[in-house]
Amino acid sequence: MEDINRREFLKRMGSGSGAVLGGILVPTTGLLSWSGKGVFTFRAVTGLPQDKLPSYASYVIEGSVNLTTRSGIITKTVYAGPPEAMSTIALPGLSRIVRVTEVRDSDGRLYIRGLIDDRSLLRAGETEDINIKIDPSTGVAQASFLGSKVTLGIET
Amino acid sequence: MADHLDAPSLVSPDKAPVDITDIYAFQKPGDPTKSILIMNVNPFATAPAFSADSLYELKVDTNGDALADVAFRIKFSPFEGGSQTADVRLASGSAATGRENTGTLIFDDAPVSFGSTATVTDSDSFRFFAGIRSDPFFFDLLGFLGGLVFTGDDFFKDKDVFGIALEVPNTELGPNPNVGIWGRVLESEQIDRMGRPAINTVFMSGKDKDKFNRSEPNEDVARFTDDVVAVLTSFGYSVTEAAGIAAILLPDVLTYDYSSSAGFLNGRNLTDDVIDIELAIVTNGTVTTDGVSPHKDLRKVFPYMGRPHK
Repeated sequence: MEDINRREFLKRMGSGSGAVLGGILVPTTGLLSWSGKGVFTFRAVTGLPQDKLPSYASYVIEGSVNLTTRSGIITKTVYAGPPEAMSTIALPGLSRIVRVTEVRDSDGRLYIRGLIDDRSLLRAGETEDINIKIDPSTGVAQASFLGSKVTLGIET
Repeated sequence: MADHLDAPSLVSPDKAPVDITDIYAFQKPGDPTKSILIMNVNPFATAPAFSADSLYELKVDTNGDALADVAFRIKFSPFEGGSQTADVRLASGSAATGRENTGTLIFDDAPVSFGSTATVTDSDSFRFFAGIRSDPFFFDLLGFLGGLVFTGDDFFKDKDVFGIALEVPNTELGPNPNVGIWGRVLESEQIDRMGRPAINTVFMSGKDKDKFNRSEPNEDVARFTDDVVAVLTSFGYSVTEAAGIAAILLPDVLTYDYSSSAGFLNGRNLTDDVIDIELAIVTNGTVTTDGVSPHKDLRKVFPYMGRPHK
């Protein structure tokens, strides 16, 4: 895996200002929440289904990733209601905990790979391998839902 | 998701008891002189009981004007000590359109079932059940959420709902066998209603979902035809074709000929694959099945829905 170019990635995080902390440029504003020491937190949301039909549910991917240790924990949850009226009711059987196994920064985008350790939860069409691409310059994340590519908006 | 969690004002745990999931109407098996009317609420049996502060109604339009001429009104007692009872009233004529709990009392303090055994109450020629049951709805919900990419994975195969079932003589549904059925729930105002499956879920967007639930079927054509046409044209229908289909789907009442045992679009049996039928209609034939079959846990006797999973 190529070296993580933290400086380049962080420059593109939408930050208008930043501070140097331990050699890492830490944004003080932007799309992702930076907690220092290479750890950031994000939350990405989209309505499902996408295209044509009105959204019935909200797909939320959120968590923390450590750029230094290339590790982290991410959760995937499907809540009842579209993003503009998302409920606290998680559709049963669809929540997943993802263990981050790889973090890569390229061209200002963050590529995260992970695994769902509890494979007993997997539904038809769902795999244990998770890939998420975060593009701070556009404010979107790309992932999959049961094998279909979906685009999520990164919440500020 | 026939109508499970279908609108913003319903997607909170405290609203589960008033969230209608499905409506069914079919000829009683083995007795063509009676009909079975079912309204299910409380998706995934999230709440422990029916709402005592709400009025549940099964409405019947006997003359095709999308206004109720007959109403069965169910009012539940507070859930106390793990038990609850229901009163059922039958209203007809102008009283059926109102929002008050009026009508002739046909069941008084009928017990609600919270276990696997269905406690059925009889009163003259009527029969009543209310309580937790296996959700008879079947659908690959995840395939829908994934963009109509179906795998035949029935999301509802292990889910429960709270059911309200009535067995009624057809004579109580009016002399014309062609009637329209829908259910609604009233709090201080009407909060949910449903006739055919998935009309609100599939065709309405955002806040229109709540507007739809709070309106009356006789308003549907004027208020919601554009919403239906917009979705249908996105699947390749011409505006003229879409308007023609919208004229069939609206008003949102479950059209039912009680002299016939045929299923959906004539009423709705528990085994009718309404999703396959509606998928073919909505997608202009592009998608014709979600690959899911009716549940195997249905009972042969009233209230016909299977034992709860919990």
